[in-house]
Amino acid sequence: MSTATTTPTGGRELSQPPSDGISNLRFSNHSDLLLVSSWDKTLRLYDVGENVLKAEFLHAGPVLDCCFHDDSSGFSASADHTVRRYAFGSGKEDFLGRHDAPVRCVEYSYAAGQVITGSWDKTLKCWDPRGANSSDRALVGTYLQPERVYSLSLVGYRLVVATAGRHVNVYDLRNMSQPEQRRESSLKYQTRSVRCYPNGTGFALSSIEGRVAMEFFDLSEAAQAKKYAFKCHRKSEAGRDIVYPVNAMAFHPIYGTFATGGCDGYVNVWDGNNKKRLYQYSKYPTSIAALSFSRDGLLLAVASSYTYEEGEILHEPDAIFVRNINEVEVKPKPKALPVPPP
Amino acid sequence: MAHISTDQLLQLETTCGSFLYELQIIWDEVGETDTERDKMLLELEQECLEVYRRKVDQANRYRAQLRQTIADSEAELAAICSAMGEPPVHTKQPIQRVGNLKEELNSIAPQLEEMRKRKGERLKQFLEVMEQIRNISVEVMPTEYIPSRHVDESDLSIRKLEELYRQLESLQKEKNDRLKQIMDHLSTLNELCSVLGVAFKETVREIHPTLDDAEASKSISNVTIERLATAIGRLREIKIERMQKLQDLASTMLELWNLMDTPIEEQQLFQNVTCNIAASEEEITESNTLSVDFLSYVEEEVLRLEQLKVSKMKELVLKKKTELEELRRQGHLVVEEAENEPEIAISAIESGAIDASLVLNQIEGQIAEVKEEAFSRKDILERVEKWLTACEEEAWLEEYNRDENRYNAGRGAHLTLKRAEKARALTNKIPGMVDTLVAKITQWEKERGIGFTYDGVRLLTMLGEYTIVRQEKEQERKRQRDQKKLQGQLIAEQEALYGSKPSPSKPQSAKKVPRTSTGGSNRRLSFGGAATLQTPKPDYMHSAKSTRTAKKLDDLALTGSRGLDIAGLPVKKLSYNDAITKHQEVGMPRKPFASIVPVNTIPSAPSMPVIASTLEENQAPNKMLLLTPKNPATAAAVPMRVASTPAPTCLVNDGKLSVVASVEETEYSFEERRLAFYVGGR
Repeated sequence: MSTATTTPTGGRELSQPPSDGISNLRFSNHSDLLLVSSWDKTLRLYDVGENVLKAEFLHAGPVLDCCFHDDSSGFSASADHTVRRYAFGSGKEDFLGRHDAPVRCVEYSYAAGQVITGSWDKTLKCWDPRGANSSDRALVGTYLQPERVYSLSLVGYRLVVATAGRHVNVYDLRNMSQPEQRRESSLKYQTRSVRCYPNGTGFALSSIEGRVAMEFFDLSEAAQAKKYAFKCHRKSEAGRDIVYPVNAMAFHPIYGTFATGGCDGYVNVWDGNNKKRLYQYSKYPTSIAALSFSRDGLLLAVASSYTYEEGEILHEPDAIFVRNINEVEVKPKPKALPVPPP
Repeated sequence: MAHISTDQLLQLETTCGSFLYELQIIWDEVGETDTERDKMLLELEQECLEVYRRKVDQANRYRAQLRQTIADSEAELAAICSAMGEPPVHTKQPIQRVGNLKEELNSIAPQLEEMRKRKGERLKQFLEVMEQIRNISVEVMPTEYIPSRHVDESDLSIRKLEELYRQLESLQKEKNDRLKQIMDHLSTLNELCSVLGVAFKETVREIHPTLDDAEASKSISNVTIERLATAIGRLREIKIERMQKLQDLASTMLELWNLMDTPIEEQQLFQNVTCNIAASEEEITESNTLSVDFLSYVEEEVLRLEQLKVSKMKELVLKKKTELEELRRQGHLVVEEAENEPEIAISAIESGAIDASLVLNQIEGQIAEVKEEAFSRKDILERVEKWLTACEEEAWLEEYNRDENRYNAGRGAHLTLKRAEKARALTNKIPGMVDTLVAKITQWEKERGIGFTYDGVRLLTMLGEYTIVRQEKEQERKRQRDQKKLQGQLIAEQEALYGSKPSPSKPQSAKKVPRTSTGGSNRRLSFGGAATLQTPKPDYMHSAKSTRTAKKLDDLALTGSRGLDIAGLPVKKLSYNDAITKHQEVGMPRKPFASIVPVNTIPSAPSMPVIASTLEENQAPNKMLLLTPKNPATAAAVPMRVASTPAPTCLVNDGKLSVVASVEETEYSFEERRLAFYVGGR
């Protein structure tokens, strides 16, 4: 790991970024490899330490999501309706399966050993990666959702699915026949992304209206009393708030604090327990499309890539920045004692 | 005598004779007497005899001397030989006389010389050995018997020499042993000194200066060895002492780490301490592991950890306190305790007066109590919430009924209508609710033996007051109704007098004002802009309102046939403008994290002014209730702007949320629209 100083633009810029929008990026759970999916139809693998592009896989359509299987292979979800597996070393591609509409999200569950994909065909599908390349042997199950799937997140055996129409379904991967909980987003506007807390007690929802809701799985009154929502990624101008969608969230693997990225180009770091903002990084050139912490929480990858919130307009080139994280930016700060008068 | 040659004798005789003859001649000449001649001749003979005698004595003496010398030599030789324990080089035959004395002497002399030389050599050897022995003895046992330099010349035998050599050897061995012992001690001492961080050179120099000096030979006396041993023993004791101390510190450290979940990196700094926690004395050999500095360093760390523990305990105590307060707040329990109790607890813990764990236990106990109490109050509290909601709706309904425009058609009018209907139903339930509530509270109070308080106020009192107010209102309404009936009768009478019959719903001042006799279109006139009727309108507006609330049951029939204008209604309606949220309905149950009185507690964010004007209207009904909600705690420097109302609709369409404007029925995400654009031919 080179000890590069953070430039004013907020981190080292990776070389050879995608040539079109970045839909998602993820750090591996084992090393500092970064997997990036893009609208330029490629799935790219970067070695962040060396700042080098290690592999590139061309698809038939824009790649909307990606995730690691292990350090040697990963999965992609594409707008051409397919789900594929790639071995990075050999470049070998396996076809896992197909949806009836673009596949929006893909996640791999280590606990269940399955790949889970969500699509705009209003279904969730579970796949067994060992059945790749054989017609239909990979598909474990198809689960109908109330609406098109917009975001997925996993923690342990729990899966949270956020769809259009502000529906939120919580599944237990061991029993997918029906959702464990059917909920509605407590935010009034379209859900942008959902992320589960690393400690598995709940999840965070972000919407297009500059707001994040902190929710809990436990339906008891005591737990539900803890839930709250807060406003973020807003700008005050002439007495009014300009509100930006919150596109991405990422939880710090060690401290449990989390970063949010919005169309305002800022990344904020929050302490959910103490309800404070810990840090705001300097503004990135354009909207934040995706965020990911490395497995040890020492790096944060930021995709600065226009997310089409205003349609087709001229925008800054898409770039990936990797920041070195200082403890002060992410470490929770419990409430200070009120100092008694001497 | 026999050896003298005849020639010489003849010569002698000749000489003597010639002398005699001469002498006779002389005498004859002289004329010496015969006696004189005889006397002279006798003298001559005597003198001659004397000379002979002298010569013979001399020879005798010489012979004796020789003999003596030989005897001496023989004796000396014997002595030497006996002393040296060896027979002479040439075997001696003491009795035999080989040849004459001189020969004998000549034969003995070299022997003697030889033996003397040998003795001399042997003696030298002895002296050497003894010197060495002496030297070593001095070194080894300086205060004890030191053999003298004196060599016993009577015993110079090889055997004795060998004995002495053996002695020397043993002494040397002893010396080596001691040296080795000392070196061992020194190395042990070195080890101990290094472990304890004590200066080796000084310690050693104290014991004996030569021990430190690399050049000089070291003292190996018993005293030195004893002192070394003592020093070693002393240092070893110190080592054990310190080791125990260190091990105690290490185990304390482990405990503290365990208690506070110290990260591994911190623990590794003290790896060298904890790895020795169970070591025995011999196992600790690294330098400076037990030095005073190191020990104090570890002590400091333990102290720091303990202080950390205390501060964490403090934090924990505070956290628990906050929890307790939260629980109390949720249960609407107010406890009259001192404001500065948390500060007292903290300073007590800091000063060590109270053990933090005791305080913690105490607070835990209090938490348990509060939980139990809250649980028992749960049912009643829920009912109270419902009642409060109902009161709110009642207040809203009153406001709504006062509103002139509520029957005008407008967007979302049907929703308000629905809400009004529900509100009315709810309001009717209120008396029943109150009764049940009172019954439950009384029962609870009887069981518990204390009054049921809600945020410090006795709930029964609250309910009692509410009932009284309600009754008053009822009476007022009744009075209004009666009065109105009276008015109606009067009007009827007047109509009978004057002819036309205006609608009974038109109130009083009509009696003062002359009427047209058009009759049928009365309603339109009275609602319309008849000049005569307009001016007094504001005056009876107030009474009209109260009349209307009394007639709310009647109004149900009316409202069904008219639309409603919702322009003047309070905040909650605004959310209906949001096209996306068509899921929402009027009678939506209160969202879990919105507080009861939404308006008053919004933090003053600049985003609010748009709806500020409508907020004030909401405040009037709340005066009825005796509640004063608390502001949510926002203690942090950069608090989140936690939303306690439904989302405001004042979203600026600067293009950032084109979603709001463009959505009609289906919503789309940015990705869906982007893909559509791409597919459509980018």
